Amino acid sequence: MKCGNSKKIIFVIMAALLPVFPVLLAGCWNNRDLTEINIVAGIGLERTEEGKILLTIQVVEPGAIQSSSDKGKSGGQQQKPVFVESSEGETVFEAVRGLLSVIDKKLFFSTAQVLILGERLSQEGIEEAMDFFHRDHEFDYEMNILVAKGATPKEILEIESDIDSIPAVYINSTVENTVSRGTVKKTMLINLIKDMGGNEKQLAVGQISKAGEKSVRTEGTAVFRDGKLAGWLDPYETRGYLFAVDEIESAIINVHTDNGKIAMEIIRSKGKINVAFENGEPSALNIKVKVEANVGEYQGKGKLEASEDLDVLRGLLEDEIKKEIRMAVEKVQEEYHSDIFGFGTYVRKYHPKYWKKSGNNWLAIFSELPVDIQVDAKIMRTGIVKSPVN
Amino acid sequence: MVRRVRKRTRTRVQNTGNDYTFAGEYTDSYGPIPETVEAVKKGLDEIFSCCSDFIMREISCGKDGLTRILVAYINGFVDKRVLNQDVVHPILDFLSNTEPGNSSHIYERLKECIVVNNDIKEANDLQQAVDGIVSGEALIFINGESKALVIGVKAPQGRQVKEPETEISIRGAKEAFVENLLTNTTLIRKRIKNPNLKLEMMQLGKQTKTDVCICYINGIANEQIVNEVRERLKKINIDSILDVGIIEQYISDSRLSLFPTVGNSEKCDKLAGKLLEGRIAIFCDGTPNVLTVPYLFIESIQNTDDYYDHAYFATFIRLLRFMALLLSNMLPGMYVALVSFHQTVIPFKLMITLAASRQGIPFSPFVEALLMIIVFELMREAGVRMPKPMGQALSIVGAIVLGEASVAAGIASNLMVIIVAITAICSFVVPPLVRATMLIRFVILVAANILGFLGISFVVVAVFAHLCRLRSFGIPYMAPFSPITSSDLKDSLVVVPIWAMVTRPKILRQEYAQGPKGTERQGGNEQQ
Repeated sequence: MKCGNSKKIIFVIMAALLPVFPVLLAGCWNNRDLTEINIVAGIGLERTEEGKILLTIQVVEPGAIQSSSDKGKSGGQQQKPVFVESSEGETVFEAVRGLLSVIDKKLFFSTAQVLILGERLSQEGIEEAMDFFHRDHEFDYEMNILVAKGATPKEILEIESDIDSIPAVYINSTVENTVSRGTVKKTMLINLIKDMGGNEKQLAVGQISKAGEKSVRTEGTAVFRDGKLAGWLDPYETRGYLFAVDEIESAIINVHTDNGKIAMEIIRSKGKINVAFENGEPSALNIKVKVEANVGEYQGKGKLEASEDLDVLRGLLEDEIKKEIRMAVEKVQEEYHSDIFGFGTYVRKYHPKYWKKSGNNWLAIFSELPVDIQVDAKIMRTGIVKSPVN
Repeated sequence: MVRRVRKRTRTRVQNTGNDYTFAGEYTDSYGPIPETVEAVKKGLDEIFSCCSDFIMREISCGKDGLTRILVAYINGFVDKRVLNQDVVHPILDFLSNTEPGNSSHIYERLKECIVVNNDIKEANDLQQAVDGIVSGEALIFINGESKALVIGVKAPQGRQVKEPETEISIRGAKEAFVENLLTNTTLIRKRIKNPNLKLEMMQLGKQTKTDVCICYINGIANEQIVNEVRERLKKINIDSILDVGIIEQYISDSRLSLFPTVGNSEKCDKLAGKLLEGRIAIFCDGTPNVLTVPYLFIESIQNTDDYYDHAYFATFIRLLRFMALLLSNMLPGMYVALVSFHQTVIPFKLMITLAASRQGIPFSPFVEALLMIIVFELMREAGVRMPKPMGQALSIVGAIVLGEASVAAGIASNLMVIIVAITAICSFVVPPLVRATMLIRFVILVAANILGFLGISFVVVAVFAHLCRLRSFGIPYMAPFSPITSSDLKDSLVVVPIWAMVTRPKILRQEYAQGPKGTERQGGNEQQ
């Protein structure tokens, strides 16, 4: 009996000590209430003319959003659903801490939906500034990254959208929409981390610009070379680029025929790239794309009855896609000298010896290689009618 | 309460200075029955002094009125009409036609053929006579005998068999047990018409002498468990057993555990089902609840309706109950962990809603949750104890004042009210575990406030470890999950149709784990 008791006491003490260990183990834990944090929805990063970091944050005021949903009740002054604050600093972290002297509560970054990079920062190189976002545990790896064109990140974050009360959410949704059109490169923080640093694939980040006082447009792509902004791709070039790197979810491609215009809806697309080698030297860049499309609209008087008609249409569609891809490849080869397609990754993977020898020189080699583009299209359906109604 | 009763008894004993001793060994002996009516009368008078409900009548009868008979009983306890018609009247008739003299002859005649009533016992000493009288039987003493007749003429007492009040079911029998032990055993016998249904009677409680009855089906119940039940009941050594709950506390395997290891029911069909599964029931006179052992965890989410309805619904409801059990334990803790530690996992839009509802609340989520849960528990307790007509007032106070007003006043958030409401609803889904859940909920809440999800998982692991260690009359509490008993899984979270449920719970037939070593394993054969 006595022995059992002492055993029991030891067990109780052990059990009581058990929860103490994790307290020591847990490196970063804190009990903070939702009311004690500022929910950050969007972040903007820009470099000032003096070379400092300018950090802009968009913070949600939950109370205002709640009260805006039951409008009419509160006849008084409407509280703004978000507020935007900026802070300068030598480093990003310093700027973050600098914000704390402006605002009331701790910043909570996990909810950040978008990170908007300024044009000047991008031109001078983003890699240094991005380190904080990789290092800190609080950032959501699925946060969208965009490069602002023609406006500073602050200007974009300060828009008062009628569409969604939180501009960052609005921006995020437009990115998702544009992805389904295939005209913006969607880059998440995790993608950026993966592609940064190496020289086998250059960064390509979505582009954002102001479309008006209250709206933004997320279309196009910012092309980087060695972490510095090299130039832009327009929406069509972007689409060509996305076809090649297999990131098209769906797209509408207009095909011009003698009888009128046909809008083709891409429903499935598969892109593949590789580099052809001859005698141990790269000889050509190959891009192979397979698409499946439906006829979405036919403005004109042509016929779509026989399979020959569809064959013709198919050829036209292939040419159209080929044209867009070529536009993109030629632009990055000739103007930007930046391998955003990731041909370098292929070379490093399948021709490591060659890569070891001349990997450092890859961008120059890439820019000189001829390009071979093959597009294989399939037309699945023509909709409810075949030929246009006359 | 038991202690109070004992204390009172002791003082009484001291004051009156009665000749029977109490200290330590309480002896119940009054000696043999004296042979004369006067002596018996004197003895009973002494024993039943100051008992205004004790009635004693001496009848002089026979042709010349020389045969003297003493009738003694407790007023109101016996059915006087039956006593007169079946006992006194035949005796008077018989004696008026017999020659006086041989009184032993009279005694035998009375016992064997004159008294119409069938329930006749013989009291050989005064103690047996007194025991009979206090349990509602009538005593007949004939002058010159050293024995007396004890005749069961107990008046039917207590309320009628009604619908169960605590265990509501949609289908199935609506009969519930009542306070009367015989009525209860009859209700079971009505359902199981089989001489193998054994009812072993014993008396417990030194002062109350409460009838307790062990009920099992011979051949189905595990003999070792039946023995164990007998042993444990015999060991109960207290003054009073006023409710079966007192027995429950004495016979539980783990008396300190939060979880019930003894089940109870007031539904006859449920109890019959349990007996047929091989469980053992313990009836207690004066209590409308009947205990069943062994009681396993899975039984708390089982319900008689599950077997009367289609298996699909039963399975769905079982899973729902299990989910409700988890929710009612963990929901407030989860909420606190989520909003004060793990904001990262909250989706953005939900986070804004959460933050908006929390805006302006002066308390931390933990304090807020604690307040609301305590308020709810108060309301629940008040609702249970309150006289029925006042219940409506309580619900108004609860719903409007505490729900609406606390939100409007900015003391609690909308969401917290919802969470406490869901928790409350869920806790009522699994009635046997309401009390355990109530306490574990607080523990989880505290753990969540200290360590977040990590804290919750610690408590959950500890509780599960405890549950797996727990046994009810030697049967593992978490069976059929731990140890896994594949044939019993058909009536666990997933219910198979009743026509496929052909075997009895196997785990109940296993050798009693803590029983004496070397005992023969009771045949694990299943129903043919």
